[in-house]
Amino acid sequence: MAKKPLEGIRVTDFSWVGAGPITTRFLAEYGAEVIRIETKKRPEILRLAGPYKDGIPGTERSGYYSNRNPNKKSISLDMQNPRAREVVVRLIEKSDLVINNFRPGVMEKWKLGYEDVKKIKPDIIFVTMSMQGSTGPHSNYMGFGATLNALVGFNHLSGFPDKEPFGTGTNYTDHVAVPTHTAYAVVAALRHRRKTGEGMYIEMPQSEAAISVSPLAVMDYAVNGNIQTRMGNRHLDTAPHGVYKVKGERRWIAIAVFGDNEWKTLKDAMGSPSWAEDGKYATNENRLKNQDELDEKIEEWTAAQNGGDLTERLVNSGVRAGLLYDAKEVLEDRQLNARGNWVYLDHPEMGLSAYNNSPLVMSRTPAQLHSPAPLLGQHTEEVLKGLLQMSDDEFNSLKTEGILD
Amino acid sequence: MKFDAVSNTSMSDINVLEFSGEVGGYAGKLFADLGANVIHVELPGGDPDRYSRPFYSNVPNKEGSLRYLYLNTNKRGLVLDITTEKGREVLLRLIDNTDVLLEDFPPGYMDKLGVGYGRLSRINPKLVYTAITPFGKDGPYKDRLPSDMVCSAMGGFLYLAGIGDDKPSRAYGDQAYMMASQYAAMGSMIALYHAEETGEGQFVDVSIQACVTTALENAAQYYDLEKIIRRSSGGLEAGYGTYPCKDGYVYIMAAMGKNRYLWDPFVHWLIDEKVEGAELLLRDEWAEPAHRKKEESKEMFNKIFLPFALNRNKMYLYEESQRRKCCVFPVSNPKDIYENPQLQYRQFFKTLRHDSLNAEIHYPGAPYETEKLKWQLNRPAPAFGQDTIEILKELSYSAEEINSLLEGGVAIGKETA
Repeated sequence: MAKKPLEGIRVTDFSWVGAGPITTRFLAEYGAEVIRIETKKRPEILRLAGPYKDGIPGTERSGYYSNRNPNKKSISLDMQNPRAREVVVRLIEKSDLVINNFRPGVMEKWKLGYEDVKKIKPDIIFVTMSMQGSTGPHSNYMGFGATLNALVGFNHLSGFPDKEPFGTGTNYTDHVAVPTHTAYAVVAALRHRRKTGEGMYIEMPQSEAAISVSPLAVMDYAVNGNIQTRMGNRHLDTAPHGVYKVKGERRWIAIAVFGDNEWKTLKDAMGSPSWAEDGKYATNENRLKNQDELDEKIEEWTAAQNGGDLTERLVNSGVRAGLLYDAKEVLEDRQLNARGNWVYLDHPEMGLSAYNNSPLVMSRTPAQLHSPAPLLGQHTEEVLKGLLQMSDDEFNSLKTEGILD
Repeated sequence: MKFDAVSNTSMSDINVLEFSGEVGGYAGKLFADLGANVIHVELPGGDPDRYSRPFYSNVPNKEGSLRYLYLNTNKRGLVLDITTEKGREVLLRLIDNTDVLLEDFPPGYMDKLGVGYGRLSRINPKLVYTAITPFGKDGPYKDRLPSDMVCSAMGGFLYLAGIGDDKPSRAYGDQAYMMASQYAAMGSMIALYHAEETGEGQFVDVSIQACVTTALENAAQYYDLEKIIRRSSGGLEAGYGTYPCKDGYVYIMAAMGKNRYLWDPFVHWLIDEKVEGAELLLRDEWAEPAHRKKEESKEMFNKIFLPFALNRNKMYLYEESQRRKCCVFPVSNPKDIYENPQLQYRQFFKTLRHDSLNAEIHYPGAPYETEKLKWQLNRPAPAFGQDTIEILKELSYSAEEINSLLEGGVAIGKETA
C-alpha cells in the first residue's frame, strides 16, 4: 500500500459542530492523525442532535456527529480547568496543525492563540475558522451555517420568486465551501512548510469563503446595479430548465435544455405535441420569455408519468434529466455504489452505519475510512500515556482532579 | 490579522494546465490566486463561461461575462485546438512542466484524442491529472450529459430544498459545479503534496454527483439510522427558520435539538422587550423538538414573535440579537451583501481594471487569509487568445512555427503591442 499523502501529520483539533470537523475529516481520510479535544461536561452539540441509532438519543448515537468524525481520536479534557492547558501544550509540541472554529478570543483566553502556540511549536500551522473574520464590528458574532447562508445571500437568491426566501434547507456552507477551502489552504501550508521550514497562521472567515463560491449576484450589483432575486429552478441563460412533478408523492424530475437541438430532442421525446411548435418556443430567447407557460405545459406532460421510466427514456434520447433522489435513493443509487461512495463502519454503540466516502477517487492514494467516529474520550488514555508518555500517577491525578472528565 | 506584502509565494513554482468548461474554473482560480502559474487552455470555440449571464453592462460580450471574469483572474489564456495533431504537440510540450492538469471534458475525451492520463503520465510521471465529470469516469451513468441541476438532483441535495410537500428549488449559483471545483482543488493539492514527496503522480477522479452527496447534512444518516426521509431542516419548528420583519426577512436559530443555550436568551430578550406572551416560551416543553414542531406551537410562536419583528429592521434585529447572545441573522439581498458593514470594514471586495472592457470590475476578495501565501488579484481574466503567442514562445516555438500554428487555426492569438 502506498504511503498516505498526509501520513505523519498530527492535528490537535479543537473544532466542533460543522465546518471544522468536516475539514479535519478530509485530513484524516488522507492519513493525518486527528485528535479531537472534547469534554463530557459539555458534549459537542452534534452529539446531542439527531438522527440517533434506532431513534434513541445518546451522546454516542448521533449520525449527525458520526459522519463528520470517522478516523479520528477523541480525548476528553475539561478546558475550563487551568491545568488542562498543560496537557494541550504537550500535545501541541507533537502536532503539526492546531485548528479551532471558536469565536475570536476563546483560544487566546486559554493562552492558546497563535502567538502562544508558536512559542510551543515554532513551525505550527494554526487554523482559526471564524464566522466573519477576526477584525471588524461583527467579528464576535456567533452564527451557524444556516444563519450564515442567510447573511451571504443564499436565502434571498434561492427559492421561488413568489414565496419567502428559502436557501438550501441545510447549513450548506458548513459542508463543502468552508471545509474544502480550509483543507486546501492547510495542505498548501504543509507544502510551504516542507519547502521553507515555516509554519503559518490561516484564518477562514466563513462568510467570505461562502461569498467566494456564490459571487455573481453581488458582482452584478456592484458592477451593474442589478439586484438579482430567486428564480426557482430556472437558469439565466436557458429554458426550459426546471423541476417537474411526476407520479407519486414528493416525486420530481429535473430537466435541463441547452440550445435548440436539445429542445428538439425534448420535443421528440414528448411525442412532438402541437403546442411545442408555437413560435413562442422556437428560440431560446423566446423560451426564456415564455417560460411560465412552457413549464406548465411540460409539467402537464410529466405529472402522470412514472419518474424512473421517464428519466430512462429522456436520458436515452439525449435529454439532460434526472430524478430528484431522496436519501434512500441516494444510498441505493447504483452509480454512487459503483464508486464506493458509501462506507458502512462498525461503531461500538451504533453498529454498522453509513458514512460518506470521499467524492474523490485517487488512483494511487485513495481516501481510506478505517474507523468509525470515536466515543467521547475513547482515546484519552491511549493518547496521554502513549503519545504524551504520561506516567500512571500523573494520569490518575489529572483524572481525580476532573481535568480528564 | 494583517500581513506584510509578499511579492511571490511558495506556490509560484506550481504549474497548472486547466481545460475548464463550465465546471472546473474555480479549481484553477484557487491555485492562481495564491500565486501558481495557471494556463487556461480554451478550445477555438471559447470557454462556455464566456457566453453566460450576467454580463458587464448587461450586454453580451465575449470578454464581459462576470462569471468568466471572476473564475479566470490571475490566469493566462491559451487558445489551442487539441483536436488537431499539431495542437496536441503543443499540449505534449506543455506537459513536461505541468504539475497539475485540470479538466472537465466528458469521460474519456482526452483518451480518445490520444492525450489521456496514460500517455501524459508516461511523459511526466509526477503529473497530477484531475478530471471532473458529472458522475465519475466509470460506472453506469458515466456518459450522461452534465447539468448542474441534474447532478444536484441525483446527489440528493435538491430534494432537501423544500419544506413538507413543497417543490424544491435549486441553490443559487450552480452549486453542484462549484462543489466539484472545490473538491477538485483540494484533491489536486493533496495529490500534488504526495507527488512532490514520492515522485508519483496520479489520476484524481471527481464526480459531481458524489461531491453533492457530501452536502446532505444528516439526511443520509436520518434514513440509515431512523428510516426517516428528511427535507429542509429550517421552517419545521418554531424558532428555527425564516420570519418576516419590517424591511424584509430574518433567519432565526433559537431552536437546536435539545440544546437550550440559544433558546433561553432569545426568550429573555422578548421578555425584556415586554413582548406579550413571551414568558410562555420559557416552559420546559419548548426545549423539546417534538413540541416545537406542532402546528399550534408554531402558531403560538408566530403570534408572540411577529408583532415584535414586524416593527423592526433586519439589521437592528441582527445586531441586537448578538448583543444578547442569540442568533437572528438578516436575509441579505445582493445590495445588502455589498454594503454589509463587516465586509466593508474588512475591505473584502476588490476592484481590478479590465482593459478589454475599459472598466473596473468588482470582485469578492480572498476566501481565506494565509499568512505566508499571499492571496493576490494581479491580472484580470485573459482576453481570448491573449497569452497564446507568449506561451508558444516559452515552449521554444520559432516565429515561423508560431505563424504556421496561427494561420492553420491550431492556435489563436494576437501579437501584443
